Amino acid sequence: MRTFGYTVARSPAEAVRIAASTSAPAYVAGGTDLLNLMRDGAQAHDHLVDVNHLGLDEVAFDSRRLRVGAGARMRQVAEHPRVRREFPMLSEALLASASPQVRNMASIGGNLLQRTRCGYFRDAAAPCNKRTPGSGCPAIAGHNRGHAILGGGDHCIATHPSDLAVALSALDATVHLLGPGGERAVPIAGFYLLPGATPDKETVLRPGELITRVDVPRTALAGRSRYLKLRDRATFEFAVVSVAAALRTSGRVVRDVRLAFGGVGTRPWRDLRVEDALRGRPLTVQAIAEAGRLLVRDAEPREGNTFKVELVQRALTSILSELGGLR
Amino acid sequence: MSGLVGQGVARVDGRAKVTGAARYAADQEVPGALHGFLVMSTIARGEVVEIDTRAALAHPGVVAVYTHADMPRLRVPDFPYNRPYIPMQDARVHHNGQPVAYVVAQTLEQAQEAANLVKVRYRAQAPVARMADVLDQAFLPDRFRGRANEDGRGDAAAALAQAEVRVEATYSSPMQHHNPIEPHTTTAVWAGDGTLTLYESTQGVAFTRNMVTQAFADDPPKDVRVISPYLGGGFGAKGPTYPHTLLTAAVARLAGRPVKLVLSRAQMFTSNGHRAEYRHHLRLGATREGRLTAIADTSTAQVTRLDGRIYNSSDSTLQLYACPNVHVRQLGVRLDLPTSSYMRSPETTAHFGLETAMDELSHELGIDPVELRIRNHTDVVQQTWAGGEPERPYGGKHLLECYRAAAEEFGWARRNPRPGTTRDGDEYVGWGMATETHTYGHIDSEVRLTIGPDGRATVRTASQEIGTGTYTVLSQVAADELGMPLGHVTTLLGDTTYPAASISAGSSTMPSVVGPVSEAAKSARAAVIALAVADPRSPLHGVPAAEVVAEDGRLLASGDRGDTYRDVMARHGQEVTVTGRKPNTRGHSFGAVFVEVRIQPRLGRLRVTRVVTAHDLGRVLNRRTARGQVIGGVTWGIGFALMEHTMVDPVTARVVNPNLSTYLVPVCADTPSVTALFVDEPDPDSQALGARGFGETPGTGVPAAIGNAIHHAIGRRLRDVPFTQDKLL
Repeated sequence: MRTFGYTVARSPAEAVRIAASTSAPAYVAGGTDLLNLMRDGAQAHDHLVDVNHLGLDEVAFDSRRLRVGAGARMRQVAEHPRVRREFPMLSEALLASASPQVRNMASIGGNLLQRTRCGYFRDAAAPCNKRTPGSGCPAIAGHNRGHAILGGGDHCIATHPSDLAVALSALDATVHLLGPGGERAVPIAGFYLLPGATPDKETVLRPGELITRVDVPRTALAGRSRYLKLRDRATFEFAVVSVAAALRTSGRVVRDVRLAFGGVGTRPWRDLRVEDALRGRPLTVQAIAEAGRLLVRDAEPREGNTFKVELVQRALTSILSELGGLR
Repeated sequence: MSGLVGQGVARVDGRAKVTGAARYAADQEVPGALHGFLVMSTIARGEVVEIDTRAALAHPGVVAVYTHADMPRLRVPDFPYNRPYIPMQDARVHHNGQPVAYVVAQTLEQAQEAANLVKVRYRAQAPVARMADVLDQAFLPDRFRGRANEDGRGDAAAALAQAEVRVEATYSSPMQHHNPIEPHTTTAVWAGDGTLTLYESTQGVAFTRNMVTQAFADDPPKDVRVISPYLGGGFGAKGPTYPHTLLTAAVARLAGRPVKLVLSRAQMFTSNGHRAEYRHHLRLGATREGRLTAIADTSTAQVTRLDGRIYNSSDSTLQLYACPNVHVRQLGVRLDLPTSSYMRSPETTAHFGLETAMDELSHELGIDPVELRIRNHTDVVQQTWAGGEPERPYGGKHLLECYRAAAEEFGWARRNPRPGTTRDGDEYVGWGMATETHTYGHIDSEVRLTIGPDGRATVRTASQEIGTGTYTVLSQVAADELGMPLGHVTTLLGDTTYPAASISAGSSTMPSVVGPVSEAAKSARAAVIALAVADPRSPLHGVPAAEVVAEDGRLLASGDRGDTYRDVMARHGQEVTVTGRKPNTRGHSFGAVFVEVRIQPRLGRLRVTRVVTAHDLGRVLNRRTARGQVIGGVTWGIGFALMEHTMVDPVTARVVNPNLSTYLVPVCADTPSVTALFVDEPDPDSQALGARGFGETPGTGVPAAIGNAIHHAIGRRLRDVPFTQDKLL
């Protein structure tokens, strides 16, 4: 990797200031993904701003929301007793991610900004529209077992790898940002972009913006949630398919439901039509199957990932059956 | 003897390894060493037109950038050098990820970044990357290491035509990579007198020395010394010698400074061989009673445009079961990929097909899979066209005992043979089994044993510790034969200044080296006893040597007369040095593996929940390290069955998953605890205290056993590994 400068920032404002005054900067917390990307030549930066000492590592509850500092570690959130109780899917999504060693290092902010595991993206010698715009996408006709069936196109079919982002999407989280232009808050539903013709642009982050915090609304629904992750080995592996689900029923009728999907979309995948199809109806295998078909109606499977169309529907059936007590 | 051999003695090098005191090849601090880094081709076929090194040379710390224009001309060594060419000898590119330039800099980071700055222009041709595209061009390659790729006995075609029952299917396995945790590394040091020393990650110091000597034959070093005291895993990847070793030696000579090279993980996917992709088309013929009458196995493997070496032989197809008509044909198809090589029990690819087909036959016949194997058991080495020698009985083969012991421990008798009938909650439970077997080799080896004036022994031999326990077992053998405490014996390995010994590959270390250590220890003990009985100062003076026994460091005769190694040697005042040799022969080890899987059918989620093995490896030299081999073999077997798969881009012939994040190997959670049983009967044919080579045998049956268990669980027959979730939906 090329030589880079490195500064430890002492406050969020200072971090933003340093980033604004250096060329090709990046914020670094745990560095569990960024340093690999730099070593592999998938990303290059002239300056790293260390954001481990900004006082952004709190995990706190107020009356309306859970507030997670961007510098909190994955383990800290995953093992927090109130997170486990009030947001089971959040804890489960984090515990199903990476390894204990990585979870001790990796931050919440960094987790949301991790890059795709697409082998072509991570090979600096391969064409990739996400890494080198306009160079092409070999995954479309090449190896695409891990790739997206939803939200892709002719330019990119890479999946977003974060389990946390899937859970936060289902929980209607809000991402708080600080940049040269000040603070702003972005609902997670609007945080990640579809690749379209610019797959290099993955989020609405503006140059120099730093994630400072993620807020998650406290709801009774969140307490009845699960995260189901399917993958090619038992641990320490990204999702082939994952589902974050929260369900509230009265009698057999679905009062409320939240669903988000990983491993299948170019961004953490939430489709409100799927939830609408279930809300107010009795929870039956039939109803779930119909919702699942709605989810994959616009799917564009490729040679290596056709199975995901079926698997994600089965995963949906499995997790809702479990949450809803269906056998 | 004090009975150390056979005990589960803890590793004598365990403390050094876990504390970091053990110096692996890349740990050697060589004063003044520069760091090398390879620039790899980004095309698979064609030639280099131009290499622009200006930016790289301008990078801080860069000493030199070498290309084919200035690399000295080397000779392509014989086997086990693994390529039919040496890269950077001309402009040609034979595969993606081939070295095209070699950067040397003051630090590793400088060398890496300078390598990124080297600009290479190519004239590229479209490569052939996929076996499936060229299966119609399969051919029968020439002999490799004297072995023909067509072999058999009898008339399989005729026997198949007349068979009462037939099974026919194709079994495939993808390209796989060894992935030892320690990357390949070479540090080349040329001394002023022209001697070359290599600190090398190698499974065979003597072979590496030979290959390097051959490569430099036009301008030979005064001598070549190869040092490799520890290895962080090899699995075959460090058996043959590879281009990076030769290039590093050449570059260090050009630079006039020591050069250290450590391959990156990605470079290890194109630099040191892999398990070739295979398809085995198998046909079995049998009687209704389940006696095999014919086996025909036509396999197709990837080879390269320049060579046709088939590394994964179909030995078990030829030898495992009593069958009068066998026909094996090992075909190749040419791809523009790196040359494949031996990898972790190479015979597994063929064995996976055979053992799955046997399960299919058992299902077809309604005969229990264990019973079917018992009915086809043989205690003789069967003649083949190529073998030429007449049938001869195995000296000891206790495979039947393995079936019995493992089946009993597993509870096989309780198995309901009908697939899809055993459930536990929402999971289907499947039980499957397979025979395990692998060839082991032997290479003539020599051992030097010295007893010092302190009465302690040092064993030296140019064999290797590759993680399997060589230091421990050789110390046990020597201590036992000498009659000394284990702590009084030091074993030194991995240095070509020691007597030449076997490569640690092909399960050949123990068969090759244990006999010579035992012989040397016998000679040394006799020499020290002779000193004692001839020495008027010894209490043993005048006692007939044959009446003296050695035990726990003491030399004892009747009537309370005794002396010690320490006292005899202290009076002698100088070392006693002896050498030991003991030729052995190659052979086979055997076993049985029983596996339980649980499958959640809605999601296709599979877990391997129970593994029981029983093995016949002749005499067990150390139960603990033998068990370690079983655990390792089963773990790799699970990887082979469920996840391992190197993906190559169909257009560029470039590896898409050259890292441990996307090339999956099993983690602890994929691997249940293993119950490992041993028959532990000495093999009278073995000159290694009755022990056989064993390392590659465990695991050979695991992929088939898992597939067979899947069939038992859900009634679906899978024939293509890896058995991923999508195949189980």
